Formats: sequence, structure tokens, C-alpha cells
Amino acid sequence: MDIDFSEEQEMLRKMARDFLTTKCPGTLVREMMEDEQGYPPDLWREIADLGWLGLTFPAKYGGEDGSFLDLAILLEEMGRVCFPGPFFSTVLLGGLPILHLGNEGQKRELLPKICKGELLATLALTEPEGRFDPSGVTLKAVPDSDGFVLSGTKLFVPDAHIADVIICVARTSQAAGETDKGITVFLVDGKSLGLERSLLKTVDGSKQCELIFKEVRVPSKAILGEVDKGWGAIGRILELAAVAKCAEMLGGAQRILEMAIQYANDRQQFGRLIGTFQAIQHHCANMATDVDGMRMTTYQAAWMLSENLPCRKEVAIAKAWASDAFKRVAFIGLRVHGGIGFMEDHDVSIFYRKARTDEFSFGDADFHRDVVSRELHIA
Amino acid sequence: MDFRLTKEEEEFRQEVRQFLQSESELIEKVRWEETLGTGWGESTKELLRKAGARGYLTPAWPKEYGGLDASNVERHIVAEEMAYFVGRMGAVGVGMAGPVILRFGTEEQKKTFLPRISRGEIEFALGYTEPEAGSDLASLQMRAVRDGDYYIINGQKVFNTACHYADYHWLAARTDPTARKHHGISMFIVDLDSPGITIRPLIGLGKIRTNEVFYDDVKVPVERLVGEENRGWEYLVAALAFERTWYAGENIYELEELVDYIKNTKRNGKPMADDPVVRRDIAQLAIEIEVARLFGFRIACMLDKGNIPTYESSMTKLFGSETAHRLADEWMKILAQYGQLDVGSKHAFENGRMGRVLYNRATRSLITAGTSEVQRNIIALQLGLPRG
Repeated sequence: MDIDFSEEQEMLRKMARDFLTTKCPGTLVREMMEDEQGYPPDLWREIADLGWLGLTFPAKYGGEDGSFLDLAILLEEMGRVCFPGPFFSTVLLGGLPILHLGNEGQKRELLPKICKGELLATLALTEPEGRFDPSGVTLKAVPDSDGFVLSGTKLFVPDAHIADVIICVARTSQAAGETDKGITVFLVDGKSLGLERSLLKTVDGSKQCELIFKEVRVPSKAILGEVDKGWGAIGRILELAAVAKCAEMLGGAQRILEMAIQYANDRQQFGRLIGTFQAIQHHCANMATDVDGMRMTTYQAAWMLSENLPCRKEVAIAKAWASDAFKRVAFIGLRVHGGIGFMEDHDVSIFYRKARTDEFSFGDADFHRDVVSRELHIA
Repeated sequence: MDFRLTKEEEEFRQEVRQFLQSESELIEKVRWEETLGTGWGESTKELLRKAGARGYLTPAWPKEYGGLDASNVERHIVAEEMAYFVGRMGAVGVGMAGPVILRFGTEEQKKTFLPRISRGEIEFALGYTEPEAGSDLASLQMRAVRDGDYYIINGQKVFNTACHYADYHWLAARTDPTARKHHGISMFIVDLDSPGITIRPLIGLGKIRTNEVFYDDVKVPVERLVGEENRGWEYLVAALAFERTWYAGENIYELEELVDYIKNTKRNGKPMADDPVVRRDIAQLAIEIEVARLFGFRIACMLDKGNIPTYESSMTKLFGSETAHRLADEWMKILAQYGQLDVGSKHAFENGRMGRVLYNRATRSLITAGTSEVQRNIIALQLGLPRG
């Protein structure tokens, strides 16, 4: 048993940290929270040049042949600075479904563009009930002469307003009692006729959208995978996305802990550093325990996913823990900073808001606790 | 990176597991002795001798002292399996005294004590805490004065569990009262049947016996000083970094028992396992136990790479013990009024073991081996917070 990263992985981390610390200060993050597009094109080009967009894609599609574990490390560093831009959506929610479900032609057409930063993509899964399970998929895809017609609403879709390609999870048939059958995945052009995209205004500045599909026609060749059989791969994508999100959350939580420790070593009240008070010390110890719990469970799940091992329980453990822990760390971290932590222009308040958003991404703690209880065969 | 056990590690685990499974009758008796709270009885000692004969008590020690030259991960695996099948053992010779003797003892001391510790033939009782020296252990006052070939020791210890069934006292006493408090302490190995030692029982929650111990002019040969005079605190602290960990095996076992209970027990006409609230509470405990398990393995992995844990040890003990308490709390919630029945009562579930052992004693591990409050202080300081 070995819980350490390889030398190459440590180098990737260091390089990413150095780059992101310089290029993504809190001022930029706050600016992008207000900006509709949500990212600076120069920065996007730079990370494409660094090979980050193609990190987990095979070299034959323009990628770097990296592992999911490598990607988790990168995402942790991006989470540390609250990286602004459609990286998570394009790579995990766009690229991975294409890689896992697409035919050779679709992969060759789309993945190289994603790797070069020339194509933005995302996954439209959740609907107004905000669910991540197959029963939540009700948007209809009805066959017509040379394809399908999509009608319905998707909600909380990340970066859909700027996506060139939207991967839509739709229902093509309904089998009684088997909601995971009858789901088909479609590649939808972001500018499709009948597709209304609007950006929702969020408290944390994350770019989430409402998509209204009004009889959007999609040709047969735009189906990813097979008709009615899309859920299996989507289920796996959700596991990858949930753990990838945990890695981002871990970076943010670690950063909050460091900020709190730094502040406790700077701020004086009552003639002494506030870090000498036991309440502050215990807050930091509790935060550190939460962060390290995130670290161990996230990287266990990320490693197992990287090795293609069955790990439904470990994925659920990681996201359930992270959903609760990131919130706790953000809450305590803000309070350690006192009044200034409450101010919008302080970095810690960015993470406080982000923790409440990330709590629900790809299933909240209760959703994943239910997965764990099924895996324990309690029922 | 590899979160699974290697083939060799897994084979070793299976070997240990098979041994423990083959001793299930004896282990039932060991669990009963633990339930009674009176300390290690004959069955416990017999099991430890059997495990010791296979090198399972001290697997990471060198072979010449009875070990298997195993890695720290392998040592952790054995301890986890024992924790799962047998429950809490808390062996001091194996876990606290032995490692210090191994690192800092004379050749004579190593030959005299280590093989017998390894074979489970002798046990030590921790002789640290005093009425005025609990969390602030370094303030201890028990006095050891050199007199020719002996030290004459006077003073009082409290909460020295195991004194009534152990062979030796692993004693911390002050040899230089003029030095700063951390720099005047020495470690001794004392025969517990020495003249001048009086042991009186103290009974804790869950009927668990501990002791107060009085030393009246007890003569301890100088050969029983471990390491150098006045450097005892260093040895004590060095041992902690290596020994402060958590074996989630006992919690995994208790959770499995709980899952079994709720599947087979009805409330309102349905198994409790059908209640979604109960399922979520149990799932949450499973998640926390997994975190505790990973924290424990982290310590072992660090040691195998030659990295000394700093805050990680405290964090592991802190989180493991508090998780165990939450698990005990959930057991009591599920048992409801049955949890109040003590050992031997009519209607008691499993002879009342859960109420007496699990819940009443669960608080104990938040206090022993460094209270949760002290552990949080240590974590904070090691993470860079300023001293008061």
C-alpha cells in the first residue's frame, strides 16, 4: 500500500501551482464572477498550450495520455485558486462522454479541438428537480425522419451559454420500473434552432444555465453511443465528475485552512495573536481533520477510477464527505477571519459561496449516503 | 500510489485472519473477559501467547527479538485484523514499553524483556498519570533517588490501568527535581510485586477497573533504568509518534453487528433497516470509519517511507476515537431502552455487552492517550499556530 504521488505527479502539481498562483489572483476570480463569459481568452489559450485541456485524452486525439489521477491533481490546484473558466465542463462533462461513448469519427472530430482549446462543451443532465439519477431524465427525444426531436428543459447546466457542443441526456423510451433504460445521449450544437439558452444569476458567480429545448432537431449521426443504452456510460461519467469535483473542493478547503492559519499568525487582539487562543487552535485542528479526510477519500476514489476498478462505494464516500466537509471548513475558516472574512472582496468569502454550490454537484451528501447504504446491503 | 494491499500484504492478512478465525471459541471468552471489565484474564493471556508465538504481537520487530521483520503496513494489517476479530486489547508491553526498550534499552534489557513481550508472556502497565499530572504529564512528581545499586522510589500514580494483572510497571519518575520539568524525568521497569507497592482499585464507567498505585520506598535496581537518566521524556514522546494511531477494525466489526441488528429487528412492524433515517445514519458512520481507516494506514505508509508523522498521529487518534464514540451513540439509539440493561439482566441484548462496554466505555478513549482537547492543541501547534 502506498499513498504517495509519483515524482512526475509532484512536478505537475508544482508547475500548476506556480502558474495558477500567478495567473489567478482573487481579483481576477471576482472579476470573472461578474463577467458573463466567465473566463479570459488569453488564460484559456495558455492552459491549452500547457496541455491541460488534453491531459486525460489519448495522444492520438491530441491529448497527453495522462491518467484520471493526474487530472485530479490538476483539479486540486485549480480548486485552490477557484479557476475561472469552462475547464471542468469542457474536459469532464464534454470530453469524457465523447471519449467514452463516441464512435471513432466523433472522437476524431471533436477531441482534438477540445484539447487545443478550440471547442467548449458541457453536459446537460439535470432538469428542474435537480436530480442526478436516471429517474430525473424526462426531457423527451422523439424519433423523426432522419433523427430525433428534443423537447424539455434542462437546468443548472454549467457553461452551457458559451458551449459549442451540449451533450444532452434525454429519454427515448420508457420501460416500466426501469428508469435507467431508455436513455439516449445526443451531441447538440449550442446554436441549434429551437434551443433557448439563458445564464442564471448565481450567488457564487458560477456559470449555470437554463436550457429550453423547443423541438430541437438532432440528426442520427449526433447520437453518442446507442439508442436507449446511454445511462451506463453516463453513470460512470457522474462518478468521474463527482470525484473530480471532490479534488477541486479539496484544493479550496486546503487553501481556506492555510489562509486561516496565516491570519491567526498575523491578527492580534487583546495583546496577543489570535492563534494563541484555544478556540482558534481547535477550529484549525477541526478544519485540518476535515481537509485530510477529503484528501484521503478523494485520492482513494481517484486512484481506483484511474485503475478502472469498481468503486461505487468509494466514490460515494468521497463526495458525501467532501460535500459536508468543504462547507464546515468554509464556515469555520470565514469565522476565524472575523469581520473581514464576511466581506465580499476577501478571498475566503469566495470559497464560502463555492462550497454551497459544490455541495450539490453530482449529488449532495444525502444522495451519496444513500449510495453507501445500498453498497453496504443494509436494505 | 496504490490504495490496495500488495499481493504479499494481502496474503499476510489472510494468514492472520485464518488464525483468528480458527480461535473463535477462545476469542468469545476473551470478549467476555473484556465485557466484565476486570482486566486481562486467562483467556486473554492464552490468546496473546498464541498470537505471540506466531510473531503477530510485534511483527515489525527484528527476528532476533521475536518479530517478523515486517513493514509498518504489515504491522498495521495484523493489528487491524486483531481489532476486528477480538476488539480492543491495549497492550502496553507491545505498544509502548517494548518499542522504547527496543530503541533505547541496553542489550541486557532487550534480551530480558523483548522476547517475552513478543511471545505474549509478560505485560506492562503504564505508570505515567498522577493526581496532579494528567494532561500535563511532565509535571509528574513521583520521586526516584539514586542510592548505590538502587533507586528508591516514592509517590503516587492514578488511573494506572493493568497494574492488577500486569507483571511490570512502565514507570515515569522524577530523578532531577531541580531541572526544568521535561528534563528531569527517567523511565524505569519495576516488578509490580516489589515490596512497598500498594495497588487499589478504581472503578470507571462500564465497570472497567483501573487503579491508584502507591510507592513507599520501593527499591528498583539501577539495571532497570531505561536509557539515560533525565531523558525519559524524549523516549516517551518518541514512542508516541510511532504508536499513536487507530485500528478501524474494531469499528468495522461493531458497524457490521449494527447492520445485522437493524436487519433483524423490527420497529412498527418493519425491520429497522427499512427506515431511511436509520440507513443514512449508518451510512454516515461507514463513511467516518473509512476516513479513520485511511488515516490509520497513512501513519503506517509514512513510517515505511521513513517519514515521521507529526500532526497526523494526533489527528488519527482524535478522529478515530470520536468516530468510535459516535458509533457507540448510534448503537444506543438503536437499542433504545434495551441499552440500559446491564450484563446479566433478563432481556439484555448480547448479555448487555453493548450498553456496558460500548457506550459506557466509549468516552474513555476521548480522554486516555491524550484527551481530544490536547490532541487538537497539538495538531494546531504542529500546523504552525503560535504558542500561547
